[in-house]
Amino acid sequence: MSSLLLKTLTKKEEIDRIIRDTIDEVLVLRFGRCTDTVCLQHDDILAKSVTDVSKFAKVALVDVDSEDVQVYVKYFDITWFPSTVFFFNAHHMKLDSGTADHTKWVGAFHIKQDFIDVVEVIYRGAMKGKMIVQCPVPPERIPKYNLLYKDV
Amino acid sequence: MATLEDSFLADLDELSDNEAEMDENDGDVGNEEEDVDMDMADLETLNYDDLDTVSKLQKSQRYIDIMQKVEEALGKDSDGAEKGTVLEDDPEYKLIVDCNQLSVDIENEIAIVHSFIRDKYKLKFQELESLVHHPIDYARVVKKIGNETDITLVDLGDLLPSAIIMGISVTSLTTKGSPLPEDVLQKVLGACDRALDLDSARKKVLDFVESKMGSIAPNLSAIVGSAVAAKLVGTAGGVSALAKMPACNVQVLGHKRKNLAGFSSTSQSRVGYIEQTEILQSTPPGLRARASRLVAAKSTLAARVDATRGDMSGINGKALREEIRKKIEKWQEPPPARQPKPLPVPDSEPKKRRGGRRLRKMKERYAVTDMRKMANRMRFGTPEESSLGDGLGEGYGMLGQAGSNRLRVSSVPSKLKLNAKVAKKLKERQYTGGATTSGLTSSLAFTPVQGIELCNPQQALGLGSGTQSTYFSESGTFSKLKKI
Repeated sequence: MSSLLLKTLTKKEEIDRIIRDTIDEVLVLRFGRCTDTVCLQHDDILAKSVTDVSKFAKVALVDVDSEDVQVYVKYFDITWFPSTVFFFNAHHMKLDSGTADHTKWVGAFHIKQDFIDVVEVIYRGAMKGKMIVQCPVPPERIPKYNLLYKDV
Repeated sequence: MATLEDSFLADLDELSDNEAEMDENDGDVGNEEEDVDMDMADLETLNYDDLDTVSKLQKSQRYIDIMQKVEEALGKDSDGAEKGTVLEDDPEYKLIVDCNQLSVDIENEIAIVHSFIRDKYKLKFQELESLVHHPIDYARVVKKIGNETDITLVDLGDLLPSAIIMGISVTSLTTKGSPLPEDVLQKVLGACDRALDLDSARKKVLDFVESKMGSIAPNLSAIVGSAVAAKLVGTAGGVSALAKMPACNVQVLGHKRKNLAGFSSTSQSRVGYIEQTEILQSTPPGLRARASRLVAAKSTLAARVDATRGDMSGINGKALREEIRKKIEKWQEPPPARQPKPLPVPDSEPKKRRGGRRLRKMKERYAVTDMRKMANRMRFGTPEESSLGDGLGEGYGMLGQAGSNRLRVSSVPSKLKLNAKVAKKLKERQYTGGATTSGLTSSLAFTPVQGIELCNPQQALGLGSGTQSTYFSESGTFSKLKKI
């Protein structure tokens, strides 16, 4: 059961198209499975805030089980679901949240306001021309994880 | 007719009951009439045993004439309205106008007869007057009860609601009234008959007017209904007169002026006959004021159409009525549901910088002072003094330079006004706490008369000793004096 409000992408062309076509808006891509509990929580937060940020952001879900999408999973090195990647005008925006991996947000957001804050900060930074921004979420609400380097 | 104009004026004033011309003859019942005004004035002195001394309307010529004409007109069905003639010249129109006035007069007359009946019947059953308010109902009840002592024997079922009948039966058991003497009873019954006659006559007149209103002013009656239309036309003094009025006047035609001395009249809603229309009766009370304005405006338009006899079929009036109905319905719609508003784009709305006195005062506290300005500037050609001497330390710039026309620059910026109490404390502290008191000050004061006198120099400045309380001080003054 994918969320009724959020678009789910399964094909590579769809992802390409949406990244290309979102102009002057933050693109939020969630990589995950719709059946996973953490993903469900994350999707719930996303769905609730999609109208609030609709003026400057777009949210889409990527189902990680389809084969087309594996290319991207490998490219972004997504191992934990859900992972959220942010784009602005086809640039990949990085987020420094005090964790090891700045290229994406791993895990679910705790509250709706956190997600809105992150999107706003990314928007501001991107409009100023920055490629990496500081995460405004307080550290107690940032999901922690350990990064294991395999075959590196 | 001179009397007509007078009575219109009188009606509009609604203050004077002085109608010396109130002579009316009743074809059916013969009664004399008297000056209503006189009756009002001499209530105590005039012992009106006779109904005829009180109620005159039915005997007046005017009444008889009009009633005859009404009967005639009701008898024959009116042939189609003559479109060619001017409205005012139409004899039927004149009759309508007269009938309006007459109906008002009949109403007054009924009130008078009612008070007559009440006064006479008080001896028998005093409380009935407070239980049954409507004068015609009262007359009917009195007629039915007559001189009966036991009210339960009397069947009032078709006259009054059962609750009131019960009330009457209960109060009749405890009433202190006594049965009336025969002649008084006859008078009372006669008066009741008179009241009922007047009522039926009034109904007849009103029915006639209503039926004719449709041909006289079809558009107006389509909007406000024939009864109210008749009243409006009557009060205005003709359809053309009504058409000439602005809509705001039409709204208050027929407004009963309650002279509440000392009370504000803004709480009264200024609506006249319009209030009795079906449209207004069916609107919720909150929208009544708006609706009455709307109805008045549209009915004025309709009256204008009728005055020029532009549309005799009443289509215009019906269209206007439909318009009014739609508007009132629209007002009653619930407001549209609130959509959740998305957040604004970040940094799209620039921060509004506010100005104002408060901001200016705040800025003054951190502004560059005169002293600092002087220190920032230097004189050409002369080396500036510095705090550590010899060019080391902070430079003093123009401060203390010979030739600058300022001997001293105050350290406290002039714009920073301190509160009187705070200023006093500051001065005290300056005086006592400062390590740099001038070496020439001393606590010894040399006065020529008494020689050396030890005095507290602070006292001279009005500071007193530091421990003295300022609140309870006997010599203390007000900290702020303002000239009135």
